[in-house]
Amino acid sequence: MDATTYTRIVTKAPFHDEGYGFDVFGLHPPALASVVSASAPIYERYFRVDSAGAERIPKRGPAILVANHGGVLPVDAAMLCLDVLRRTDPPRIPRAVADQFVPGLPLISTLFARFGVVGGTRANVRRLLERDELIAIWPEGVSGPAKRFRDRYRIQNWRVGFAELAIRHRAPVVPVAIIGAEESWPKLASLRRFHMFGVPYLPIPATPVPLPVHFHIQYGEPLYLDRGLGPSDADDPGIVAAAAAQVRAAVEQLVDDARTRRRGVFR
Amino acid sequence: MRVLVTGSTTPLGTALVDALLAARDVELVLATGVEREPPRPIGPRFVYRAVDLRHPRALHDLLWDTARECGIDAVIHGMQHRRSGDRGPRVHAQNVDVTRGLVLGCTHHPTIRRLVYRGFGEVYALRATSDLLDEEEPLDFSANAPQWVRDRVEADLTVCAHLAGGLQIAVLRCAEILAPNTGSQLWDYLGSRVCLRPFGFDPMLNVLSVEDAVAAFIAALRSSEIGVFNIPGCDTLPLTRAIVESLRADIPVPGSLMAPLYGLRRWIAGFDFRYDMNVRRFHFGGVLDGTRARSVLGFTPRTPVRWPRPWWHLLIERLGAERESADQGLRPDPRNLPDRAPTRTTR
Repeated sequence: MDATTYTRIVTKAPFHDEGYGFDVFGLHPPALASVVSASAPIYERYFRVDSAGAERIPKRGPAILVANHGGVLPVDAAMLCLDVLRRTDPPRIPRAVADQFVPGLPLISTLFARFGVVGGTRANVRRLLERDELIAIWPEGVSGPAKRFRDRYRIQNWRVGFAELAIRHRAPVVPVAIIGAEESWPKLASLRRFHMFGVPYLPIPATPVPLPVHFHIQYGEPLYLDRGLGPSDADDPGIVAAAAAQVRAAVEQLVDDARTRRRGVFR
Repeated sequence: MRVLVTGSTTPLGTALVDALLAARDVELVLATGVEREPPRPIGPRFVYRAVDLRHPRALHDLLWDTARECGIDAVIHGMQHRRSGDRGPRVHAQNVDVTRGLVLGCTHHPTIRRLVYRGFGEVYALRATSDLLDEEEPLDFSANAPQWVRDRVEADLTVCAHLAGGLQIAVLRCAEILAPNTGSQLWDYLGSRVCLRPFGFDPMLNVLSVEDAVAAFIAALRSSEIGVFNIPGCDTLPLTRAIVESLRADIPVPGSLMAPLYGLRRWIAGFDFRYDMNVRRFHFGGVLDGTRARSVLGFTPRTPVRWPRPWWHLLIERLGAERESADQGLRPDPRNLPDRAPTRTTR
């Protein structure tokens, strides 16, 4: 275990303790620090995560990371959260917003809660932004991992709720491209009739474990969607859709640039 | 301010009456309860009426005779049936009909201007994603909910239906008050030596102390704001941590076994805890968001709860406190001594 990383997260990361070492959503910094330091070999040696532009993440205040999504399981989300924790100083704990079914999964729901994952409800996200936290959102939701391999890196169903929140709470949006997840763990098939614990489908991966694909994470310039707007403009569907489209275009551009730059899937 | 308090013989009601009488701006407290004995000695500022409000005539007479004579201008309604296992029309009458009658009576009353209603956080329909529950969360209208919940939802909506009228109404949806004899399901759950919980789930809970509940009611009484306010406590923690704080053994079991095991325990030992009432809370948690109460009423929870620890631990704590006081040559302050061992509600 990497003692430096552990100490850095436990002592330096801003955290709203409710009195028992947990925040209101169940985040427990020592648990998060343990998993971050224990997963260092996966991050550094297996996926060899290579990131650029992490300095564009605001050091304080509310902010939203918006990224593309792919792969059988959310390995891309895990790598992004690890990257943010390791490359921000003081470390900012990214609060990943999970899909509706995740908090209903046994064990996983509890583990994710300890690592800072929250359910995607309006009240949850509002509280986080009011407390100046950093949120990570994948607007594609399940449609990102559910897409076919030939559609990799093509943005799927793009939800707009994050844009409404960004305008209402005056939070800058940092577009992020994650490259590598689609090839790391491609999907072979989906069992669409499997809905145990509320999951939308059961993915059948093409490989038993993720392949050691070289991950690239590229952070874009922050977008201030609220510029020239008031909080009440967040109620206007047209304004919200336009703001979400602006972020989508920025993410697509980052994805295209990063794919062009990479020398190969495993290199 | 002249205040009518219903349910004054409950632990919350008693603490509320004491706090009201300690407040300088309260001229008179008219307390009601079904017990013959008042919760404290009658005095010049304290009037007690033993009355069963389930009888419409008794409720009418209380409002239009005693309350009018006393010049009551505010009502705190906290009377609800506490035991979760009881059901039927008499329980419904106490939970819902009394509330309806009281609201209607207050609406047309010549002196009453404000009603503070004790609601319950349990009225919310818990979902997997509802970590934080604000006042806009959907209520639990499921047909298979126990009467304990259905009555509270109905009473809550009955009060909320009059929010736009001339009477100033504040509905305080309180988190669970963790104290003996308050109808607390968690108190009963944590009172046993072994606490079973569904395997794979460790939800966040929030519990309220009697002191904070009283502070919230007094803040609502002094305010003129209308609406629904969530009242959380200052203890927010995972279920496993609550079990540890209560010095109990935590055993995770498959969720499907929880209901039969606790049903058996309830049948054999007569405990009040019902797993079917808590199943969603024991999976998904749900913490009340007190932002509105803080910004509008100025209420912030400050007093932690006292956990239902075993009798031997309370005895050790008590002896320790007494010894410490004796060393300092002082008599121990009874308010600082730990409570007695948790009591169990029997059938």
